[in-house]
Amino acid sequence: MNLIRDAWQSIIRRDPLSTDKGKSELVFLNVWLHIHPAKVKKENLKVKHTFYLGFITFFLFLILVTTGVALMFYYRPDAPHAYQDMKDLQFVVYLGSFLRNMHRWAAHGMVICVFLHMCRVFYTGSYKRPRQFNWVIGVFLFLLTLGLSFTGYLLPWDQLAFWAITVGTNIGSYAPLVGGRIRELLLGGHTVGESALLRFYVLHVAVLPAVATLLTMVHFWRVRKDGGLSRPVWKLKEAKSAELVTIGAPGNGAPLAVVPASKDKTYGLMEVVTGKPIFETVSMEEEEDTVFSYPYAFFREGVALLVTVASVMAVSLFWQAPLEELANPAKTPNPAKAPWYFLGLQELVSHSALLGGVIVPTLAVLALIAIPYIDLTPSRRPADRKWAIRAFTLFVVVNVVLIIVGTFFRGPGWALVPPWVHIVGAE
Amino acid sequence: MKRRSFLSWGTAGLVALWSAVGVSLGAVVRFLTPSVFYEPPQNFKIGNPADFSFGPPTFLAEEKIFVFRDREKGFAVASAVCTHLGCTVGYFQSDERFHCPCHGSVFGSDGTVQHGPAPRPLEWFEVTLARDGQLRVDKDHAVPASYRLMV
Ligand code: HEM
Repeated sequence: MNLIRDAWQSIIRRDPLSTDKGKSELVFLNVWLHIHPAKVKKENLKVKHTFYLGFITFFLFLILVTTGVALMFYYRPDAPHAYQDMKDLQFVVYLGSFLRNMHRWAAHGMVICVFLHMCRVFYTGSYKRPRQFNWVIGVFLFLLTLGLSFTGYLLPWDQLAFWAITVGTNIGSYAPLVGGRIRELLLGGHTVGESALLRFYVLHVAVLPAVATLLTMVHFWRVRKDGGLSRPVWKLKEAKSAELVTIGAPGNGAPLAVVPASKDKTYGLMEVVTGKPIFETVSMEEEEDTVFSYPYAFFREGVALLVTVASVMAVSLFWQAPLEELANPAKTPNPAKAPWYFLGLQELVSHSALLGGVIVPTLAVLALIAIPYIDLTPSRRPADRKWAIRAFTLFVVVNVVLIIVGTFFRGPGWALVPPWVHIVGAE
Repeated sequence: MKRRSFLSWGTAGLVALWSAVGVSLGAVVRFLTPSVFYEPPQNFKIGNPADFSFGPPTFLAEEKIFVFRDREKGFAVASAVCTHLGCTVGYFQSDERFHCPCHGSVFGSDGTVQHGPAPRPLEWFEVTLARDGQLRVDKDHAVPASYRLMV
């Protein structure tokens, strides 16, 4: 029996729960507790503040990793096999089409949720000091999400995949000077072929997920270091409340007194810190507003996880992920459309490739990154930031309209065709 | 260690470190650039002149080219790759023009852009007669639209 107990303890690395030490270690060694503060503001748990969109995005990512690894057992990234393997997954492999559906729908869901999460963060003004940089990390996470979807789009090697990637990578080649070179590096050739498939596969299953995981960790860490979630807009005080001081944020507080480091002590830190620690100052009234993370936050996050997984499963039971004919470089389907989240881009490109495909998107991304550094009004109340809200809303509306036009209103030859008109014999 | 030697060694170290980073980045880019392309040849034979009919151009799907044959003027070869974003254009006899299915670019039968976002006319490739009497197309060798091979 001792053997089993010792082995068990070597795995979980804590004393039995019957001891006080074991009990406290259960708390200290728990990763999820580690990334949560001990207590969180009660109001922040309200659905109407975050809609749990960041969590849902993260849970969708987890679903994608899990189902993606499952798909990898049956998928070979080379030209004739890739498509056959998709067919096998769809018709032969036990649960194959269900897993593929989950992967596909979770991917679409993640693109939607990451965008909505960004909107929520914007409208609640949560990108303001000290959260500016976490917004920037967020923009990169957004781009990574698009990159993951885009690289995954080629893998089924059907007509949809082939032409969407042909069009998509050609957009990139319009970038001045480096465009052709970037496309060559990405494709490992001059046309979408076997080497492109392999490169997209490696990016999709290894490089981008690794980077996304890393950035997500930094993102979460910074949410905590920035003093937890921002206070809900409806809890903002009328008068300018005392600024919260956060470690790491450039402080406006009184400069620290410089005290020489103690002579009789060896410090092994990167920096020697003296003086009073600067923590968030929590007043009594705010203290009463908080609840313990465990179980209150954990429970809600658990519910969000269950709802996310159940929804993706339900959708995957009823809707099949599309799979068209085998990729045929000689025959362009008409119309040839990029994945839906790039159809706004394709719509712009159909007017001008350089302006619409390179200049406008680049400026849009730069503008997104710059938002927290341009919008310097400290107030987070909607009434005080009318212009910021108008500008961002315009950005969102233009995006949505362009995507809707590209998706539903573009027919053969990219002609404007309303969705209710059916063109017979369009080739 | 003296202050001065610390500074100079430190500077040298930093320079070495950053050079190493730079060289490694260069190596990564070079590594990702294929040294060999396993792609179809750019210079290939397409068959005997007699294989091609007069009238509307023949579309060769693998090579993505149109072969024009005219009784008076001879042979000419046009690229079927749209200059906008690389979709394959189709030739429509009804209006004697090329239409791109992706973004609606339209090219005249001489390849010039007549409509849509395409920035350049379709390319024309050199076509010559090989020693064995077959037609040879060189995609690396663009020619003006007026180019013709008389056989
Ligand atoms: C893979 C993508 C992303 C994941 C998994 C993710 C996850 C999260 C999570 C779990 C939170 C905690 C609260 C919440 O649910 O809102 C959060 C907060 C935050 N996110 Fe994201 N996020 C992602 C992308 C983004 C993007 C695209 C932006 C903005 C451009 C962004 C900016 C922020 C900011 C500023 C906060 C702090 C908000 C506050 O304090 O109220 N994130 N994120």
